[in-house]
Amino acid sequence: MSSISLKNVKKMYGNDTVIEGLNLEIKDGSFTVLVGPSGCGKSTTLRMITGLETVTEGDVFIDGVRVNDVAPGKRDISMVFQNYALYPTMSVKENIEFGLINKKIPKEERERRIKEVCEVVGLTEYLGRMPANLSGGQRQRVALARAMVKEPKVFMMDEPLSNLDAKLRAAMRVELINMHKRMGTTFVYVTHDQVEAMSMADDIVLMHKGKIIQQSSPAELYHNPNCIYTAQFVGSPQTNIIDGHLPEEIKLGFRPEKIKFREMEKEEGITLDATIATREMLGSEIIYSLDTKYGVLMCKSDVDMPVDSEVKIGVAYKHMYLFGADTYRIEFTDELKETISSVFGGARND
Amino acid sequence: MTKKTKAVKSDFAKAQRTEKIMGYMLALPAVALLLAFTVYPLFYMFYRSLYDGSIITKNPKFVGMENYLALVESKDFHQTLTNTAYYTLVTVGITMVLAVLIAVWLNGKRNRKVNDIAQTFLFTPHIISMVSVSTLFLWLMDSNNGLFNAVLTALGFEPYSFLASPDTALFSVCIVSIWKGLGYYVLLIMAALQNIPTNVYEAAEMDDTPKWRTFFKITLPMISPTILFVSVVAVISSFKVFDSISVMTGGGPVNATNTLVYYIYDYAYKYGKPGQACAAGMVLLLCVVVVTYVQFLVGKKRVHYQ
Repeated sequence: MSSISLKNVKKMYGNDTVIEGLNLEIKDGSFTVLVGPSGCGKSTTLRMITGLETVTEGDVFIDGVRVNDVAPGKRDISMVFQNYALYPTMSVKENIEFGLINKKIPKEERERRIKEVCEVVGLTEYLGRMPANLSGGQRQRVALARAMVKEPKVFMMDEPLSNLDAKLRAAMRVELINMHKRMGTTFVYVTHDQVEAMSMADDIVLMHKGKIIQQSSPAELYHNPNCIYTAQFVGSPQTNIIDGHLPEEIKLGFRPEKIKFREMEKEEGITLDATIATREMLGSEIIYSLDTKYGVLMCKSDVDMPVDSEVKIGVAYKHMYLFGADTYRIEFTDELKETISSVFGGARND
Repeated sequence: MTKKTKAVKSDFAKAQRTEKIMGYMLALPAVALLLAFTVYPLFYMFYRSLYDGSIITKNPKFVGMENYLALVESKDFHQTLTNTAYYTLVTVGITMVLAVLIAVWLNGKRNRKVNDIAQTFLFTPHIISMVSVSTLFLWLMDSNNGLFNAVLTALGFEPYSFLASPDTALFSVCIVSIWKGLGYYVLLIMAALQNIPTNVYEAAEMDDTPKWRTFFKITLPMISPTILFVSVVAVISSFKVFDSISVMTGGGPVNATNTLVYYIYDYAYKYGKPGQACAAGMVLLLCVVVVTYVQFLVGKKRVHYQ
């Protein structure tokens, strides 16, 4: 168990700065997910913590100890790679045992740990196999076992599930959550998939262009985004933004699932006229795109409506987010509520 | 309707047949050359090894296994076999070890520029003809006027006999082959090294693996298919050494550098005994087949194909 902290970290490749002024605190025993689109610097951040990538400026601390000059193997970190990076010329057992031999752990202890880990991940009958003769899911398990068996202070995972099919991925998500619960070790997990991030993390670090946009719990990130980027990154379909109708370039945002097919009382929210343009039946819910005079709005609802129907939709004030000209969140004051009511509220009275 | 279908079908069958014939036609030149210059000579060599008489003898005499018996009894031929084995072991052994070490070094991420220059220097000898290289080394290793001895004497050492003494001549010839061939083998092994995914090395780094263990447990097994291939090629080419011997030593001094192919040449053209030369040729063929087979057998156990 251990905490990680990055202070004013900068990373340059040649003359390109990919990360600048990064400050990050990862709590002891947390399941922290670094999430963001490709090229946002999340993998680089992870690799700087492991030591596979050097830090151009700034400091990396593990348990309060500066580790900038500590070799990756000496940082007491295990890593699971995206493509597993198993040793192709070694059997499953040799793969798992390799790191233990390097650490000069006695044979009986090694055997005990391998047995234990293999029972956990279900590899016992595959110990003699070569990686080439395993399925993707089994290779993933070997990679996990190889990381677990070292009993590290920190677990690093770089998109470990992205090479698995959807069903297996969902199953592995649950297993990873259980694994974290059982081990209580600090997990740092990198993904570009917001669903993965939301479902597993207890702390999400949302990154964009080498900067941390928001760091908070999944619920907080969903209910309380601090900017348009966060609001649109989390949730599907993405948060609706109405721009160009409020003074001072203020933008109005609300989530598709917050749109109701009913009129709202003036005190409760706003009501808009809309035509249903498209309809995607997903089973438990239906996704509509709605044509309004403020642009196309996405809506997620369990109410079944035919395409082309003219409807009244309502959005409650309590579900609205307001963003300033700089796209960052601003406070929802009574004054702004009045403005919104006067700009959008007309539909009902027309 | 059926008529039309039939017509289409026969058109298709015709096109397929034409394509088949075309394929054979394209392969024909290569097959013809292979038959004329490889398969036929092979059988002719065996046939001729059972006959006596020179190249110009009109009706060579059938002597059965006599040519082979002559080889078995010939001390010179024994010496030739020993020399060839020594030459192969030394050349291939040193070349392989050096090639792997140099390739690993050149493949490293540090000093890119120095590495590129080093690689060019290493590879250049490969594009020079063996005769030129041999002539050059003949002068470099000359006992009286050679550069090597000039340097040795200048540094206060005794001059070394190199090609002039039976004790050192064969090893000197080996050095020339190693120098010439090294760059080529380094290039092949480097190509294999570049195929190892970086991730595997990173995993090893995370596992706190010492450098030597990474080399023996990861690098070496992962390039083992290339090492096997390269060593087979190197062994076969060592068995066939001729140019350097011919130019530098002529098999001497006192038969010290006489190797199989040079022996075959001597018997066929100098001593006018093509029968015995062909018999020696059969021995060479047998050696190559056996050694290559053994290499693949060992390879089966040691080489990791992915």
